[in-house]
Amino acid sequence: MIKILCVFMSLILAVSAYALDGNELLEQVDRNLNPESYESYKKLINIEPDGSKKEFVLFTVKKGKDKVAAMFISPASEQGRSTLRLDENMWLYIPNVGKPIRITSLQSVVGGVFNNADILRLDYTSEYDVEQVEENDDEYLLHLKAKTNTVAYDKLKMWVDRDNMLPSKIESLTEDSMLIKTLYFKEIKDFGDGIVRPSVVETDSPLYKDYKSVMIFAEIKEKEFDDEVFTLTFMPNIDSLR
Amino acid sequence: MIALFPQLIFAESEYSFDLDEIEKKPYSFGGYLEARPALLGFDRGASLYKLKLYNKDEGETAEEYNAVIQLDSSYEKGIAKINTKINFDMQESYFGWSDALSIFEGYLSLKPSSSFTINAGKKTLKWGKGYAWTPAAFVDRTKNPDDPNLSLEGFISLSADYIKSYSGALKTISFTPVLIPVYDDVNNDFGETDHVNFAGKLYLLLYDTDIDFMVLAGGSKASRFGFDFSRNITSNFEIHGEFSFINNFEKKFINIAGDSFIKEYDAKSYLLGIRYLTELETTFIVEYYHNGTGFTEGEMEDYFSFINAAYDTYTASGNDSDLQKALNLAEGNYGRINPMKDYIYARVSQKEPFNILYFTPSLTGIFNVNDKSFSLSPEFLYTGITNLELRFKTSFLYGERRSEYGEKLNDYRAEFRVRYYF
Repeated sequence: MIKILCVFMSLILAVSAYALDGNELLEQVDRNLNPESYESYKKLINIEPDGSKKEFVLFTVKKGKDKVAAMFISPASEQGRSTLRLDENMWLYIPNVGKPIRITSLQSVVGGVFNNADILRLDYTSEYDVEQVEENDDEYLLHLKAKTNTVAYDKLKMWVDRDNMLPSKIESLTEDSMLIKTLYFKEIKDFGDGIVRPSVVETDSPLYKDYKSVMIFAEIKEKEFDDEVFTLTFMPNIDSLR
Repeated sequence: MIALFPQLIFAESEYSFDLDEIEKKPYSFGGYLEARPALLGFDRGASLYKLKLYNKDEGETAEEYNAVIQLDSSYEKGIAKINTKINFDMQESYFGWSDALSIFEGYLSLKPSSSFTINAGKKTLKWGKGYAWTPAAFVDRTKNPDDPNLSLEGFISLSADYIKSYSGALKTISFTPVLIPVYDDVNNDFGETDHVNFAGKLYLLLYDTDIDFMVLAGGSKASRFGFDFSRNITSNFEIHGEFSFINNFEKKFINIAGDSFIKEYDAKSYLLGIRYLTELETTFIVEYYHNGTGFTEGEMEDYFSFINAAYDTYTASGNDSDLQKALNLAEGNYGRINPMKDYIYARVSQKEPFNILYFTPSLTGIFNVNDKSFSLSPEFLYTGITNLELRFKTSFLYGERRSEYGEKLNDYRAEFRVRYYF
């Protein structure tokens, strides 16, 4: 009986230790992808099966674990639109409409494969726990589980390069493990101040057959902002931060 | 190298991202051009047809050609920014040619810190959380529920925003005081002239719920206060609501003989709404609106009966004085958008069905709960071409005689809107 108890306790301890390692790995991935607080410029490209493209350029600011805001710089039809995310609360401000309206993480302000949760991404550690880590010579495979049911994807499978601790691929899955989309991290670039990360993220989805969306980072810079920047009242003024 | 050849940053990649695209200039200039031809099918027996076209014969249908030029510009230097929005509206219709050049916005914004802003000039403030109606938007013009996203003209005001953020259940507080002068040449369509009005809004983000408290006082309009809220129950289900209380509201109405009356009472209006997104990306927006300032079914029937009697007088004698009286009463009163008491707004839109990217079909219904009349509007929106927006929208009106939608000028309307942004 004591033997069984010991084996059982060892198993529990082993699993806890592994989970802790997994979360530490994920924290490392988060910090390698971007500083906790930063500003960045990125371009989203939606590519249709016939090759036609639609491009959006966004200015993004993030502070801490749960605050991120973005403003469209182009095209002209979207210029001045801004989005704000405070934890799981999301709003969209359209200059003509005026007041910010609440939106959801599953919607997409740009159409295509990227949804709002992808565009206004928080740190993975703020939304996910690592349930399991697999490893081979080149990479880790992290199995992530959403901390709450308000997170856009219930599960993620994240392949992480062991050398640079950066993700190479992420699969987004439903609770029933149905694949919603896959993100491919490419073209590692030195953005300065020690930020070396993939500059291109491609995504495809079985739900959007033959469509592809791409996110390109042009600039990522560590920067601190006042908390008041991440409020509904400030949304029309995000451009003043540039 | 990067400094010398910024455009080469992604030259080796299959994607390009020219850094010129993110360069910030102190000035900006943009806007849109819009063409909007429309076809109307008249209801020749309707009261509003008789009222507006009593001396014209337009046949069964009429064409309408609308065009809009909207110019947005800004100039920024230090903490100061000047913003302008100029709107030029043109229409060729059964009423003939009309055009209107309006400065929708033109204001100076001073932002000494991210928590404090002062705005002076003409600005739209857009209060309220309702999608189709905003009874607590005390300092805005009335939205058109048929097209709630249209930009609106502002009022000349002096306002400030003070924001404070916290950690904990109360995440944000912001306070917006507003002064609105109303004189013969300034904001004279806001209300009674020769008053400086004070309005204020206190916003809280409390327990993940947006809450606003609003107030308006000063004499140009009856004093009023209100509140609104918005909250996500789940990530795909949002609820919102508004309440307003107008002290000593004066309702002007007529009886069937055309005698005028004024009734003074405290008007309470409220709105409750939801926005729900399904897994298939179908969005449902439903709102119930009680308009405390609205007319009862009997009061509207009296107005329609008066128009019909006035029209009979005109056809018998050529005397249109009663029709002119009815027209004057329509202005800001019977003729306002949704003038009655209780309405339901329902909109269903499907994002990108059949994998057609940037295509959104939708169906909108506005139901008058009191007289059971309604409008139904199917709409198709396509935004797949950069900076071009194509929208085809039709509206069909249903209702018995003496009901709101049954007495509108037209039975149906189809319009095609092409909007080019620059």
